[in-house]
Amino acid sequence: MMWLQAVALGAMVTLAGGPAAVFAQDGSSDGAERKPAPAADAPAPAGTAAAAQEDDPDMDPNPAQPDFTVVNLPTTLRLPRHKSAFRVTHRFARPLGSGDFGSLLEDFFGLDSGAQIGLEYRFGLFRGTQVGIHRTSDRTIEFFAQHDLLRQDGERPFGLAVLATIDGTNNFRDSRTPAVGAVVSYQFGELGAVYASPMYVNNSNLLPEELVDDNDTLLVGLGARVRILPTVYLLGEYTPRVGGYDPRVNLASFGIEKRVGGHAFQLNFSNGFGTTLGQIARGGIDNDDWFIGFNISRKFF
Amino acid sequence: MRVFVCATILLAAALGAAACDEQLSDLTGPTPNLTPTFSSIANDIFNASDSSGRVGCTQCHTTAGGRTPPQGLSLEPALAYASLVGVASRQRPGMLRVAPGDPDNSYLVHKLEGRADIVGQRMPRTNGPFLTEGQMMVIRRWIELGARND
Repeated sequence: MMWLQAVALGAMVTLAGGPAAVFAQDGSSDGAERKPAPAADAPAPAGTAAAAQEDDPDMDPNPAQPDFTVVNLPTTLRLPRHKSAFRVTHRFARPLGSGDFGSLLEDFFGLDSGAQIGLEYRFGLFRGTQVGIHRTSDRTIEFFAQHDLLRQDGERPFGLAVLATIDGTNNFRDSRTPAVGAVVSYQFGELGAVYASPMYVNNSNLLPEELVDDNDTLLVGLGARVRILPTVYLLGEYTPRVGGYDPRVNLASFGIEKRVGGHAFQLNFSNGFGTTLGQIARGGIDNDDWFIGFNISRKFF
Repeated sequence: MRVFVCATILLAAALGAAACDEQLSDLTGPTPNLTPTFSSIANDIFNASDSSGRVGCTQCHTTAGGRTPPQGLSLEPALAYASLVGVASRQRPGMLRVAPGDPDNSYLVHKLEGRADIVGQRMPRTNGPFLTEGQMMVIRRWIELGARND
């Protein structure tokens, strides 16, 4: 699997010498009229390249699909070529239903507890193609690549992307879990979008194959994001496992999100900690155990 | 060209799937060759001590030298299967020593894991080292698969 690591590392290196237009958003709360800001002391870009960048529709804000994920599942939002985005995921480990309300308050709704934290970076390799890396604090590293095949417009009634991921436990040294799948999206104007994501996850069971009946999972991620105010969204997702290894319960999450310029601040509640596809395939903890968490994402364009 | 690159990435990910599993030997520790087959369990667990210091079961459960094994249970490779699978426990007559397909209701598992319902001591009776979690997973898997004489 060295090729995937090479792709991710290549993306990092490219960014290190990358465009000067990062942090170029104006920070306006309505997300409109965002354009790359010229660096004050940078030389003027070549006319052709600059024009191509400004004409790239992937640079335009998409109020129906403002981010690359719902809570954990991918969307079909396109990442502009040679641009990038960063995301932090945080799932606190204290079940909200554990103990009485007083103890929950003493723990500040679980925020005093330990947490599973994820850091993610993605990069637009080509137009419509993004690659990225996501690491969670249980020492799982996920590499992913996504290519958007169809963009919903007047001619095409839905958006479609295909993706491949592979995550490995113990810093990618132990059990590795590849997955392939697709994301189908349907946007309701600027009101929001719904998603269906059929995925095949190989080696979702971390035990050796000699000890298990099912070592793969077929799942269909379902998600929705609804814009209730110009910059506020409600969102939810549910990931039923429809075949293969399906321990515990299906992962479910819901939350509320506020967008501020290129940032998104999301408060969410989940019945598990999974954020990589392998973790999602292994399901949530229990339907009686819900955990508070948050995502913070930042687009660098 | 771009679509080709992406398709290649997807295909490579799919093809790479087969070689990503954890190795059984990583779990079975002091018995790295242990597999969920009867012959392997008989040879590596029942009939052999291992590097953890666990003593082999046949140190006691044997008919060698005309001995009468404890509870009439001989775990020598040639005799163990007939002594275990589908045979009622003497200590807990309501349970089978090995109930094919049902490790949780197999008295062998209860004795090796030291569950609260056992009569007498947890095995091995040397008070440890006991079987590791990985070794127990292999024994449970053999029973789950039907406790075949393989």
